[in-house]
Amino acid sequence: MTDEVAGYDHVDDDVALVVQDTELPKRLREQVYEAVETREGVTVDQAAEIAQATESRYLDTRVDPLDPVGTVSAQSIGEPGTQMTMNTFHYAGVAEIDVTQGLPRLIELVDARKEPDTPMMTVHLEEEYATDRDRAHEVVWQIEATRILALGNVSTNVADMLVQVDLNEETLAERWPTVDSIDETVERVADTIADALGVETTTRGTVVEFGPSQPSYRELLQLVEQLREIVFKGIDEVSRVVIRREEVEVDGGPETREEFVLYTEGSAFGDVLTIEGVDASRSTCNNIHEIYRQLGVEAARETIINETMETLEEQGLDDVNVRHLMLVADIMTNRGTIESIGRHGISGSKESVLARAAFEVTVNHLLDAAVHGEVDDLNGVIENVIVGKPVAVGTGDVNLKMRAEQLATPGRDAREAEAESEPGVEAEPVDADD
Amino acid sequence: MVDVTQHELVPEHRLLGEDEIEEMLTEYDVKRTNLPKIKRTDPATPDDAELGDVVEIVRDSRTTDRAIIYRLVVS
Repeated sequence: MTDEVAGYDHVDDDVALVVQDTELPKRLREQVYEAVETREGVTVDQAAEIAQATESRYLDTRVDPLDPVGTVSAQSIGEPGTQMTMNTFHYAGVAEIDVTQGLPRLIELVDARKEPDTPMMTVHLEEEYATDRDRAHEVVWQIEATRILALGNVSTNVADMLVQVDLNEETLAERWPTVDSIDETVERVADTIADALGVETTTRGTVVEFGPSQPSYRELLQLVEQLREIVFKGIDEVSRVVIRREEVEVDGGPETREEFVLYTEGSAFGDVLTIEGVDASRSTCNNIHEIYRQLGVEAARETIINETMETLEEQGLDDVNVRHLMLVADIMTNRGTIESIGRHGISGSKESVLARAAFEVTVNHLLDAAVHGEVDDLNGVIENVIVGKPVAVGTGDVNLKMRAEQLATPGRDAREAEAESEPGVEAEPVDADD
Repeated sequence: MVDVTQHELVPEHRLLGEDEIEEMLTEYDVKRTNLPKIKRTDPATPDDAELGDVVEIVRDSRTTDRAIIYRLVVS
């Protein structure tokens, strides 16, 4: 039992016992120990008082039965949302990469867009690569798409009907660090061009030449256009990679070490995870669908929480309780896939016709329901607001019943009757669908 | 293929035995179909999971130490 306080100098076993006597969960117990630790010389009685005060606050903050948590979450995210900036593009705190932020990003997340406006990945490296800049760059060139304009100059020789590519030796050596000779690299580039465009290529030193099979000015220009599209190395979707040296925690502990972390513009999470040197256990991306495909619903849920929380924090709205975001993420991943909040997702798949009609495109929903002869059981909140019945949350879902014999009968002592008449409170469980 | 269980975003997934499922369902007083779902094709679903099985997921929770939740395997 006392292992918990092993790391503290001013927390003894007696204090530990009074703290453990409360209903506090471990994380709060640790905070109490820390409070005792920093104050030094706290007596057991004082510690007990601290623990009890904390406990009563903790019990107060627990959700009451029948609390409309969904509505509270919606309000708690919605209100700070009104303070968010409308301008989308801003350089995020980390790396010089454009990332959608603020309200548009939040909407994008809860709408579960297939592709975020600005997809990006955070790629962590395995130790050997993470501490060595050259090795880290090896990974960078495996990820960043290399197109012809990055490798050299392209010119068209109209007289001979040839496209000439003058490759830059330095760039070649940099982007293919594992290939021994420049000639071999040039050969590879030439082969890639030949395969992609279906032309014969000839190489002279670092110059690669090719042309259309029949002399045609139009085809020549077309070849140049196509040449620009070819990806010689790296991943098509990733247009840019930024490499940064960062402090990273070792095993979540207080110790940190410096390592290189890659930030990418564009994402192809599945491809990146398989690249050698990439730490497949820490790398992430901001596309929740890619996370879902590669790592499953649970990881997607985590990512939704992380991304929404980061979006809010970035805007200085970090006092939104994470529980609200957890609830949103739970609902979005409840059916084993990612569903959006809204007409095409959660709200659109509600049981009640009236609830769906109240959300968006009212007429369509009512018409469809009429055509299919749907019945509304009036179990949810919205339906009951519409028809003017009490809603089934909070006190609206509690029925008070009193037994006949509890009524004061003539001749009976009134005080006696009063003592007996604690009304039985019954709460009928109702499927909460909001 | 990458081992997804190693990723820090993926909590521990464990297949429950039939008696454990019964115990859990009685404890929470729910039906099997009331549980949240997980696809059998989900990368994190244990390989030998079949439709109707229940997966126990132990999350490293943001609000307590660990949060245990259950998901029903669906197609």
